[in-house]
Amino acid sequence: MKCFKHWLMLIIIAFPILCAPVSAFAADKSSSSSSATDASQVAENASLQRIKQKGTLVVGTSADYPPYEFTTKENGKTKYVGFEVSLMRQFAKDIGVKLVIKNMDFDSLLVALETGKIDCIAGAMNITNERKKSVDFSNVYYTGDSYFLINKSDKDKLVNAKSFNGKTVGAQNGTLQSTMISKDMPQANGKGLAKLSSLVIGLQSHKYDGVLVDAATAKAYASNNSNLYAFDSKLPATAGGIALAFPKGDTSLVNAANQTIKKVNDENLINKKWLPESAQYMKSYKKQNTVLSYWRYFAKGLEYTLIITIVSVFFGFILGTLFALMRLSKNKLLHSIAVCYIEFLRGTPMMVQIMFVYFGIGAIIQSLPALLAGIIAVSLNSGAYVAEIIRSGIQSIPLGQTEAARSLGMDKNKAFRYVIMPQALKNIWPALGNELITLLKDSSLVSVIGVTELMFQTQLVQSATYKGVLPLFITMMIYFILTFTLSRILLYFEGRMKHVQ
Amino acid sequence: MSNNKMIEVQNLQKKFKNNTVLKDITEHVDKGQVICVIGPSGAGKSTFLRCLNCLEQPTSGKVFFEGNDLTKITDKQLNQLREKMGMVFQGFNLFPNMNVIENIKLAPMKVKNIPEKEAEETGMKLLEKVGLAEKAKQYPDQLSGGQKQRVAIARALAMNPEVMLFDEPTSALDPEMVDEVLTVMHDLADSGMTMVVVTHEMGFAHEVADQIWFMADGYIQETGKPDEFFAHPTSDRAKEFLKKILK
Ligand SMILES: Nc1ncnc2c1ncn2[C@@H]1O[C@H](COP(=O)(O)OP(=O)(O)OP(=O)(O)O)[C@@H](O)[C@H]1O
Ligand SMILES: [Mg+2]
Repeated sequence: MKCFKHWLMLIIIAFPILCAPVSAFAADKSSSSSSATDASQVAENASLQRIKQKGTLVVGTSADYPPYEFTTKENGKTKYVGFEVSLMRQFAKDIGVKLVIKNMDFDSLLVALETGKIDCIAGAMNITNERKKSVDFSNVYYTGDSYFLINKSDKDKLVNAKSFNGKTVGAQNGTLQSTMISKDMPQANGKGLAKLSSLVIGLQSHKYDGVLVDAATAKAYASNNSNLYAFDSKLPATAGGIALAFPKGDTSLVNAANQTIKKVNDENLINKKWLPESAQYMKSYKKQNTVLSYWRYFAKGLEYTLIITIVSVFFGFILGTLFALMRLSKNKLLHSIAVCYIEFLRGTPMMVQIMFVYFGIGAIIQSLPALLAGIIAVSLNSGAYVAEIIRSGIQSIPLGQTEAARSLGMDKNKAFRYVIMPQALKNIWPALGNELITLLKDSSLVSVIGVTELMFQTQLVQSATYKGVLPLFITMMIYFILTFTLSRILLYFEGRMKHVQ
Repeated sequence: MSNNKMIEVQNLQKKFKNNTVLKDITEHVDKGQVICVIGPSGAGKSTFLRCLNCLEQPTSGKVFFEGNDLTKITDKQLNQLREKMGMVFQGFNLFPNMNVIENIKLAPMKVKNIPEKEAEETGMKLLEKVGLAEKAKQYPDQLSGGQKQRVAIARALAMNPEVMLFDEPTSALDPEMVDEVLTVMHDLADSGMTMVVVTHEMGFAHEVADQIWFMADGYIQETGKPDEFFAHPTSDRAKEFLKKILK
């Protein structure tokens, strides 16, 4: 019976949480389908008007894909370059708004578009029938073949698609190439990853025998890394070329984009101007492109990692105390809420929680920044663990302590604050320290929603330097120095507290 | 007989689930009186004492302190009245994370908002009174049982209570330390403090108490002056009890 009550509570609490985003999606869908039927009234579609009023065009991209889009540094700052970036600059200029670029994993782009985080995708995205179901494409501005990127040492063994039979071939998740592997290379063992840079690291460490990517990108990697080699896959092109993706029904915006694309195609700007420019960026870069010259990237990453950790520890502790008290409360409702909260957050992966807060809650509050979403998710998660630690700490204090305090005239709050909590804190200090260190490390998960913390920055450096292991090693050392220092500090305080007794 | 009742209990009953520990108790304590409560283990002595300052909430009946019914007032008023009722526990219940003087001055500072300096001065005076002034900066862990209990008494006295409740203050002590605590309590009684003492120390009860209350089976079976009680107990339960402990 008691058990049943708990379940009921859980369902009651979970229901609105789960339904809110679903209904938000539903609302999106219905409004978009109705606007699709109104396609004849193009002039009345408000999407272009909306962007113009807002003054910014937010473009989502996965900037590890030279020469389409990649990062370079200018005066120590990240700069997004590549011909698609140039195209988007042109588009933003043509409609008279400011361009904002959001860098994220390729396979997050469609969700981000759907939930309104971005206005448009420029991600070397091929037109496919499946994608057409969920987005509206602009006209095509580029068609690229797919190339294999391999280690130069395998150059004689791997000569065509067939020679990959029984071998491992990688592709970026959600890309045309990953579909091509499963369709056209059934004998090969296909594997996907979110980041192209990670795939290239895998290739260099022989986890993959080859990586299937777009021709321009494969060539860019090969020319920047003498150990790599690129060749044409000759696989049949199944897609209709590369185009911009917009939310379904944003017809006036698509039309505006098509005008820009027509101009660009007429003048052959991509081949004549922007591709050479990109190549230039990559070349001029190669010379001074050492990992250490990216120290500012690491510094920025460190800064954000510390911000996330410190803010989340603070709120995690407050939430933890609150829920610990609720869980210990005699009030059945408060108790049940706390139990549900703690069990739910401890019982689901933090990565999922982070994405859920960003995309789910973000669907309701459109302007929720990734950093804030990350901090909210990490704080909520940490709150659940801290609550359990604090509860065990409070319960470890003998009842006689409370009774002594109460008999001296202290009310419940004072007894808790001056007598119970200081002793509980001392007992749980090591466990809290562990939680703090875990939190610091787990903050790296926030990179999945594009917060520029240490892990995210590392991936930027990886794709910018075409080096995989060294940036990881540096990041590992930074994390270790942080956690080691932290554990020393915690030990010092633990020692002092012992000394006092 | 007396219109200066400090504590009065009427038809007090206390149940834990189905276990009726206190069945029906009506008694009172006058100002300045020292009451010793004795009786066999499990009789409900501790429960009774804890009902006096509402650490246990009575199931039914009334508990008056200086004319206020503790079962009817708000939590805030109850906290204020508790300040005037010091309590000493069998297990000392000192705060282990604070040294002796911090233990003593915490409640005066946090409850009565007395400035730290003043609280410390009063605390030191009380420590002198219980003979532990030189232990002010020690932690509870560093004290013997007898010393701990004397600190606990000083801590309760620091709130300047009108009545002191003792629950077997010497039962957890090694025999050689019992006297130092009893001496302090004896002095306290001599100074006119109203006291309710649950104890197994018959010598102390005989010597110090104004009245003995004998408890068994959830009732106060009989009350009387120590001389009369120990010489001529009237109830069968008391006779049996005295026979056992005098063996
Ligand atoms: N919090 C409680 N919950 C349930 N039962 C309790 C509780 N406190 C006391 N009791 C029961 O009440 C009865 C009386 O306990 P109490 O501690 O008052 O006896 P006592 O006379 O002080 O005994 P002793 O001399 O051993 O201290 C016992 O049977 C005990 O089990
Ligand atoms: Mg007892």
